[in-house]
This record gives sequence, structure tokens and C-alpha cells, in this order.
Amino acid sequence: MSEHTSQTRGMTTVPPLVLLAIVVVTIGLYPLIFGQFMNLGISILLFAGFALAWDILGGWAGQNSLGNAVFVGIGAYSVAILHQFGIAPWWGMLVGIGVSGLLAWGWGALTFRLRGSYFTLSTIAVAEIIRLIALNEDWLTSGSEGKNLGSLPSLFGLDLFDRRVEFYLVLLFVAALLAFGHWLKTAKLGFYLRAVREDEDSAMALGINPARAKLTAFVLMGMFTSIGGGLWLLYLGRIDPDTALVIPVSIQIALLAIIGGRGTIYGPLVGAFIIGIPSEIFRSVLKEANLLVYGVLIVLVIVYLPKGIVGTFEEWLYKRQHPLEKRGS
Amino acid sequence: MEFFSQGLQGLIDGLLTGGVYAMIGAGMSLIFGVMRVVNFGHGDFVILGMYAAFASNQYLKLDPYVSLLVVLPLAFVFGFVLHRAILAKLLGANDQTTKLATLGLGLIATNLVLLQFGTEPKTVYTEYATNAWRIPLFGLELRISEVRFYAVIITALLIFGLNMMLYRTELGRAIRATAQNRLGAELQGVDTKKIYAIVYGIGVVLAAAAGVLLLPLLSATPTLGSVFTNKSFVVTILGGLGSLPGAIGGGLILGVVESLGSSLFPLMNSHFGANYRDAYGLIIFLIVLLFRPEGLFGRTVKRV
Repeated sequence: MSEHTSQTRGMTTVPPLVLLAIVVVTIGLYPLIFGQFMNLGISILLFAGFALAWDILGGWAGQNSLGNAVFVGIGAYSVAILHQFGIAPWWGMLVGIGVSGLLAWGWGALTFRLRGSYFTLSTIAVAEIIRLIALNEDWLTSGSEGKNLGSLPSLFGLDLFDRRVEFYLVLLFVAALLAFGHWLKTAKLGFYLRAVREDEDSAMALGINPARAKLTAFVLMGMFTSIGGGLWLLYLGRIDPDTALVIPVSIQIALLAIIGGRGTIYGPLVGAFIIGIPSEIFRSVLKEANLLVYGVLIVLVIVYLPKGIVGTFEEWLYKRQHPLEKRGS
Repeated sequence: MEFFSQGLQGLIDGLLTGGVYAMIGAGMSLIFGVMRVVNFGHGDFVILGMYAAFASNQYLKLDPYVSLLVVLPLAFVFGFVLHRAILAKLLGANDQTTKLATLGLGLIATNLVLLQFGTEPKTVYTEYATNAWRIPLFGLELRISEVRFYAVIITALLIFGLNMMLYRTELGRAIRATAQNRLGAELQGVDTKKIYAIVYGIGVVLAAAAGVLLLPLLSATPTLGSVFTNKSFVVTILGGLGSLPGAIGGGLILGVVESLGSSLFPLMNSHFGANYRDAYGLIIFLIVLLFRPEGLFGRTVKRV
């Protein structure tokens, strides 16, 4: 009997660190097995990272941002612009983190007084304004031409243009976000955010400051996303407004997390793989219309699996463990 | 003097374009007012209208304005079926969920268009596309573009028709009742699910009509969808979400701001001009969102 329960509990009984280690090591084997598909692996993992960062605010705090391309762009452009002055990418990333954090702080301080869809609408507007600035302020961003990375210094003797090095750097980024997710699930901030997501008024009655909780999540999301932006630049070797700052990037980031399952730690990662692979398979058919996969999947998920893939799986698991408990959905 | 004449010309162009923006916003506002859902796919339906007109011009050799007669009924059926088949399943869910579903539907629409017609901009050739009436006024010569003028006239007719429908017919009364209180309307025998589907259909019709009217002015590109969704947000937020007269005011304001911004700024500083055309509207949008989220007109969020 005891054996039975420990088996069916599956995910919930595996200690978080062990689960994290298993997932990270499994993904870490990818370059050894699929060595010829390194580009696919890096882009899937990178977007998983973006989606995991999105989930901090979108999943745990329930505030859907459709403007995360801004932070991707800031991260990438900080590294690219400072690179021209001979400053190493890791310092550029730090600057990107700082700028993103400040922007998120200012923007959140202004917009989190509003509720409902207003925050989402403001993210789209801010993202568009930043894109227009990047497109038109040639002196800073080289306009639509974008910035190229020439040579890169080596990091601890590793070549940053080596796909395998890039893969493991991105994996490190994803692992950090997953670890952060595990921490958030049990931390005070995580409970604050969930309380705010479920009911702002009740959260306030309990002494939580909703605006501050959301602001913290927003700043963290911005900072994490901008690290990913810096890594994306290393991978692409160049950056321009049409790649990094357009609305489809923001939409992709949000949809990966939602399809995978919001507020479930591993949801965005699962979502990135579940979408990334069909997108790659249909690439030759769909060409520029690759967002069709996202559109179809998001509609299907919203209608049939409103909690996302991982969220629905967790619910199914919970019901199996607690057959007598009736749980209203 | 140049500043003044440029300004006046900008104002006229802005009002004419604003009329079409008003129609896009009216559809969005109607959907929000009745269903309480922000329609994130709205701009994509504008694109769908554009391409429907393009296709009927290409294959049926119809003039864009004549194609309205074909496109609009199709748009209504499309919106109605879309709601019946998908959005109606989400009626109990929270608005965040429905919002994401509309976003997904928009993505599907745009990307199907992209798949069929490719990324290259498509234009329709009409003889009158570049015609303009010249009106002398106090020694200034003002140009009124023929296409924009027709667009405004047709917009006015459609909005007038919508208004008559809402306030003079039994269906309109049912729609307004559903907007005010869904349960109350249901108790009076209104099939509110059907009303929702009808309203969504009307919203799609207004978006598609705007697309058709813009086709002679712009070239159709599938990726413009998000631009139009943005514009409809700006229009509806300026006017107050859910308010029909507000949407008209908001549309006109957006048109004028964009047009004046791009025609007057170059006289002072060539850098900010047409380059930032789309940014002016967004900046005003953010300011309104921050300081008067209920919209420029009206004290509270008004419903249809």
C-alpha cells in the first residue's frame, strides 16, 4: 500500500532539488545526442528561459505581459552597444539587467495601480514605443540595420561562439530560473503573489501590498529576461529591431508559458519543447507563418486545458492521489 | 503661414483617417461593452477584411467598395460562427482566458492569410486612388483625398446604421439589455448566447469594413494586424472602454494626433516626423491610461 502511494505521487514526492537535477542533466545530454541540431536546441531552451521569466509575473502574479520583447531587446542591445567600446559581454549583461530593472520598476510603479486588462494594454504600448525608438535612433542602435558582434573575448578559456558553450550557458540560465521557481513556490513572495492573483482585495485585507508584490515580480521578470536577451545576442551574433523587439516575440514568450501551464515551475519549459518541435517540423511549410502553430495550440489549450499542459497533469495527479476528495474546478 | 496650412491640411487628413479608426474602435468597444472581453484579435480581422477585398478584386474583379457587399455578410457569418464554435465555450471562464483565446484566433487568421498570400504587400489598383479635390480657402489650397472621403462617408453610414439598430430595433434592445445585465436579460427571455455571437459578428463586420475601406489607401500586409489591434486599443481607451460615442471621438482624436504629429513635427525637427507616426498615438494612449483610465469622456466606464 505504501509503495503504491509513493509511486502514484510521482512529482510531488520527488524532492525539488532532485527533480531539478534530473531535468537539467537530461537536457544537458542533448548536445551529445542531437549534436547536429544545436541551433534548434539553443532556441528552444532560450525561449523556455524567456517563458520561465514571464511566468514570474504572468503565472504567479496573474499579470499577463505582452511586451517582454522590450527586456529581450534591452539585454541584447546593452551587450551589443557596450561591445563596440570593447566592454566584455558579461559587463554588458549586468548593465542590461540594471536598465531592465529600472524600466520595470518605473513602468510597474505607474501601471500597477490599474487592474484587469489595462496592464496588458500598457505593455503592448510600451513595447511598441521602445521598438520605434530602436528603429529610429540610429546613433544608439544603428536603426533597422542593427548591431553586429565582431569578435568576442573568451570566458574562462571558452569560445563564446561555440554552439555547445552557448547551449550550456543558456541551460545555466534556465536552471537558475527553475531553481528560482522552486524557491518562489515556498517563499513568502510566492504566497503573496498567488494571493494577489486570486483576489487582490482579500490579499490587501491580509496586509499584503498588491502593487508592491506585483512590482517585485515585474522587476525580477525584467532582469531575468534581459539576461536571456544578452544570451540571444551571443547566439545570433547580431541584433536588430525586427528580430528582438517585435510584438510576435512578446506573444511567443507569453503563449509558451500559458500553453505549458502558468505558475507550475516546469510549465513554460514543457511548453517551449511542445511548441518548438512542431514549429521546427512545419518550418518549411509555414515559413513566416510559424505563429500559426502558436495560434492553434493556444486556442486548443484555452478551450480544453485551461490550466495548461503541466497544470492539467498536476491536477490529474492530485485527483489520483486523493480519489475521495471532490475538487471544484 | 506654411505651419498654418500644413496644420489645417493635417487636421483634415487626420479627421478623415480618424473616421476609419473610429469604426475599428467601435467594433472593439461594442464587443467589450456587451461581452466584457478585450478582443485582442481585432486588428487581425481588419487584415482579413483587407485581404477579402483584395481577393474579390483579384478573382471577381470587384471594385473595393462594391466588394463590401460580399465581404461584410461573410464577415458577420465568420464572427458569428467563431463565437458559437469557440468563444461560447469560454463563457464561464474569466476574462483573461477569453482574451487569450481571441489573441489565438487573431494569430490563426493572420497566419492563414500569410500562408495564402505571402509577406509581400498587396495593392489594388483603382483609378480614383490618387484623386483629390482641391478646395481654396482663404488663399490656402486644401486637398481632400477622394478615397479618404468615401471611407468617411461609408463609415458614417455604417455607424449610423449600427446606432439605429441598437436604439430602434428589438434586437438592439436585447443587445443593450445583455450589456447591462446578462442574467436580467436572460430572465426576460433573451437568448444571450446568441446575442453574444451576433455582437461578435457585428464587431468583426466593423473591423473588416475598415480593412476594405483602407485597402485603396494602404497596401495590405499580413503583419499589420498588431498595428491595427494597437490602434483599436488606443481608440477605445481614449474614448472609454465600452462607449460607442467615445470610440468615435477617440478615433478622430487618434487620426488627428497622428496626422498633425507627422506633418507638423518635421517643420521643427526633421527627426521626429513620420518616423514616429505610430508613437504619438501610443504616447497619448499611455498618458490617458495612467491618468484617466475611464477614458477622456464620461465619468465612469460607460456601457453600450
